[in-house]
Amino acid sequence: MRALVVHSHPVATSYSAALRDRVVATLERHGHDVRVTDLYAEGFRPELSDWERQHHLDPPDAKPDLARHVDDLRWCDTVVLVYPTWLSAQPAMLKGWIDRVWISGVAYELPEGGNRIRPLLTNVRRLVVVTTHGSSKFVNSLQGEPGKRIVTRSIRLMCHRWARTHWIALYRMDRCDDRRRKDFLDQVERRLERIRGVRAR
Amino acid sequence: MRVLLVVAHPDAASYAHASAEAALRGLRAAGHHVDVIDLYAAGVSAAMSAEEHAAYEGPQPILDPVIAEHADLLRQAEALVVVYPTWWSALPAILKGWLDRVMVPGVAFVFDDRRLVRPGLKHIRQIVGITTYGSPRAYVRLVNDHGRRILARTVRLNTGWKARVTWLALHSIDTATAAQRDAHLARIERTMRSLS
Repeated sequence: MRALVVHSHPVATSYSAALRDRVVATLERHGHDVRVTDLYAEGFRPELSDWERQHHLDPPDAKPDLARHVDDLRWCDTVVLVYPTWLSAQPAMLKGWIDRVWISGVAYELPEGGNRIRPLLTNVRRLVVVTTHGSSKFVNSLQGEPGKRIVTRSIRLMCHRWARTHWIALYRMDRCDDRRRKDFLDQVERRLERIRGVRAR
Repeated sequence: MRVLLVVAHPDAASYAHASAEAALRGLRAAGHHVDVIDLYAAGVSAAMSAEEHAAYEGPQPILDPVIAEHADLLRQAEALVVVYPTWWSALPAILKGWLDRVMVPGVAFVFDDRRLVRPGLKHIRQIVGITTYGSPRAYVRLVNDHGRRILARTVRLNTGWKARVTWLALHSIDTATAAQRDAHLARIERTMRSLS
């Protein structure tokens, strides 16, 4: 398995960083190749620029600052997103990574004169999310879970036809004690190991 | 009525800015006081910083003076009008980031003594979304409209579920004719003139 782990949290000692470390350790322990992108640590710029918008149909080679991100996406067969859910969706930093890296020529192509895009990331067979929510599952379902659907629908459609999505989430973190948080770290490990292809057979 | 109009597009010559101007014309014609925030022009950073994250639950969660100014405008607003292009069926990162940084405790909501969220934007009576989609309507329906859900549900929850939501959308913009684009701008201006 070739896993790209993308992490988005501003604080290096955060619970989210602990989740990232547990994900990486679990995958490596089972002998998988792991690449980590830590968006805050590398100072990724999340705002799509005017130049990028005007050149959004240019081949990705014309955007050398994104070359490594593009290469990682084309290399992996598994994408793992680790982030805290803010306002029912991904932090802007991670949304910006999607806006800027999942571009024409990388994630999809738009046939001349059409509205329907064609997926290009057919190498991606698994999309895994590890996230925390301050609010309850109930409040999240009222809100319509936009963050979850951005992954399981919008970007999922750019991946392999039979790509599986896995949602590993801690709800009501605002009211969790330390023990519940520790349990969730272990739970993340077990849930990852249940994903097909993670445990060596 | 005091209206806060937020526009999120990097190009001042874009259709999003034309939409914002049409909305502004309609709102001003109806005699409303409109404050305009152009996120790209204001140089707003989308990423909540480590310092802001640390201050989030403290007495002073906003550290950036520009965001503090925006929070004051949001506190006074009776209507929130948001203009943006839909990317990945969702909000552009700069708009999501602005919400991440401005919708903080003490502005958008407060934690009560049981650490439950209580709405802080009860003064907002109207939420208006003005957006464009590259995709046709059926595709947006299939994948769901995440941007609309964030504004019409998540942000609306912070108004105590009281605000009325008005949605003005143009689908399949890449193949829309000039006449369709103009008709949509006229519709925006007309709808904003009757906003109350």
